[in-house]
Amino acid sequence: MLVTIVEGGLVALGVYLAAGVLFAVPFLLNGAGRIDQDAAGGSRGFKLLVFPGVVALWPLLVGPWRRSRQRTERSPHRDAAIAGDRR
Amino acid sequence: MGHSYRAVGWNRQKRVYDLALIAGIVLYLATFVGVGFTLHPGATAETMLIRALGTGAFLLLHLVLAIGPLCRVDSRFLPLLYNRRHLGVATFVLGLLHGGFALVQFHALGDLNPLVSVFVSNPRVDSVAQFPFQPLGVIALVILFLMAATSHDFWLANLTAPVWKSLHMLVYLAYLLLVGHVSLGVLQAETSPVLAGAVGIGMAGLLALHLLAGASEVAVDRGRDAATGAAGSAAGHSSLGLSSLREEDSAFVDVCAVSEIDEKRARLVSVAGDRVAVFRYDGKFSAVSNACQHQNGPLGEGCVIDGLITCPWHGYQYRPLDGASPEPFTEKVPTFRVQIRSGRVLIDPTPLPAGTPVEPALIGEGASDG
Repeated sequence: MLVTIVEGGLVALGVYLAAGVLFAVPFLLNGAGRIDQDAAGGSRGFKLLVFPGVVALWPLLVGPWRRSRQRTERSPHRDAAIAGDRR
Repeated sequence: MGHSYRAVGWNRQKRVYDLALIAGIVLYLATFVGVGFTLHPGATAETMLIRALGTGAFLLLHLVLAIGPLCRVDSRFLPLLYNRRHLGVATFVLGLLHGGFALVQFHALGDLNPLVSVFVSNPRVDSVAQFPFQPLGVIALVILFLMAATSHDFWLANLTAPVWKSLHMLVYLAYLLLVGHVSLGVLQAETSPVLAGAVGIGMAGLLALHLLAGASEVAVDRGRDAATGAAGSAAGHSSLGLSSLREEDSAFVDVCAVSEIDEKRARLVSVAGDRVAVFRYDGKFSAVSNACQHQNGPLGEGCVIDGLITCPWHGYQYRPLDGASPEPFTEKVPTFRVQIRSGRVLIDPTPLPAGTPVEPALIGEGASDG
């Protein structure tokens, strides 16, 4: 019984940490700089250093990252400007 | 901070600190193993290494917990505080190595997953002498990991200060868990009371240091509050001529005599529910809130370096005139108006918004500046 409980807990922990890794990669490439401008130009060493913490504490960073995504209303001018920029 | 993050903001002091730390750890491990084999020639190398790493981590944790109160009691310990986070990371690394080797040595040879084995191999929770001490160490290690993983300033800024501080206060829980881990482990492996006694002495020492530091802090605040109260009523400072203050200056409170503040150092005073650090530098006096924006370090226990108030904890700097960090940094602390009268330093207890420029008081402004 105890073995089953502990094994279940370890599986849950593994799933949680795997989700953390999946979150951490895009977060450190893009999201960290959105929630903290000092992280935008952060060095590789910085990203490597905070990676374990992001994997472990990713639920605490989901909210700030989501809130940082400013949704600007689309307009013909904005769309045209973005399209022109891509060309 | 207002600049791009790096892994470590290296400077000469940090390099020296870390080299001394690494040298100290290597010396300790070598000494422990050497003495251990002399006393217990039959012990295996793995067991000796596991014990050396475990005791090393436990001793480092004592140092980590002692530095704060030691600096409160005696400022000569401040250099230890400067890079305390690296001590914490080193504690975790030693603990991780200890746990990793112990996992392989004692739990990897059975049919069970070693991580499962740690939690289920000893079910004697009803026995003190045979209590399963390993899970206590695992939980403590998880706490030390969270602290080490969040030691970068990125986490302080983005978890917010209250969450970050609460997380790092768990170090005391980790310490208690490790006291249990070590004590119960020693009970099962040792017949000599020496190690158990050493754990008790370490715990009592830390408790005494914290109580001593707390008492000295209370004494400082009481003394300063008494001084400001007396100055406000003019009753305790008749020689100051406070009764002759102009109406608009009557709110100023006495801090101390000009001569009581050393050049490039500060004097603390408690006003408006918190401490103010009044600095003397280049014949001028400026006052800022005592709490550094970084981690609430005591600015008043720092000094003026290159014209900037420098926090003794991590070296964050502020201009005395406006309490703002120089570009490109963005930290700011509240400022206070200062006056010199009759050789006394006085401050307006009303805090000004962080970063507000305030004209410094000049020693020559008041008569007989002492």
